[in-house]
Amino acid sequence: MADVDSAVKEAVVEALALDDDEVTPESTLMDDLGAESIDLLDILFRIEKSTGVKIEASDLGDYIQGGIPDDEFSDENEVITAKGAEHLSKVMPQTNASDLEGTLKAEEVMSLFTVQNLGEMVKSRDGAGG
Amino acid sequence: MAPEDELRLRVGVDVVGVERLERLVRDDEERQRTLFTQVELDYCRGKRRQYEHLAARFAAKEAVLKAFGTGISQRMRWTDVEVVNERSGRPRIRLAGEVAAFAERRGLQDLDVSLTHTEGLALAHAVTVWSGGDRCAST
Repeated sequence: MADVDSAVKEAVVEALALDDDEVTPESTLMDDLGAESIDLLDILFRIEKSTGVKIEASDLGDYIQGGIPDDEFSDENEVITAKGAEHLSKVMPQTNASDLEGTLKAEEVMSLFTVQNLGEMVKSRDGAGG
Repeated sequence: MAPEDELRLRVGVDVVGVERLERLVRDDEERQRTLFTQVELDYCRGKRRQYEHLAARFAAKEAVLKAFGTGISQRMRWTDVEVVNERSGRPRIRLAGEVAAFAERRGLQDLDVSLTHTEGLALAHAVTVWSGGDRCAST
């Protein structure tokens, strides 16, 4: 699946007009690389073209939340629950569930999503028949 | 005034390159339908510079979501934020789906948007009013 990692990195580099060495697997798309929504769209469209795996922006949220109902993923103040944090630490292994639980707001989750996380998502979709 | 009675103002702004938006969606019906509602597509397709109008609508969606403090997240779809036009031509925002549910949970009281576009750039500015004091101030 090395090709997927390369395709994802290339998509990020080209969509954001960055130098190759500015994008690492650990770079967060929004916070580190400054991607806005249209950039995210551009990245996803480029990945679709190069890998054949179609991902919509809303799929990112579904992937990150993993099918956990809203009221179990975050509490009434939109703060991530223990169950939500546990799942996030699986799809974003660079995070620690105990650090996220009770502190991370649901709308901040995407800010932690890295180039590598996107690559793993593409691979999971590719493996599922994309 | 009790915190729950306070109103808070939040703004969002976004600018979109017309050529870039055109490159992303031109001749691709599926992508256009991912980003825009039928109402939006019908309106813009009737215009001589349809991609300027589409870019302005995309900017409006992003500006609204920035004012919400979320950006596109939490299973929100682009079509959940729809730009419709009053008879006067003034744009108005209609919410649906996850975005509408989020707005209701957070106490959205009012929402207004202004759009502008030139040959190269489209810009949107959204203003939102929320009830519930700190609940919407922490994003």
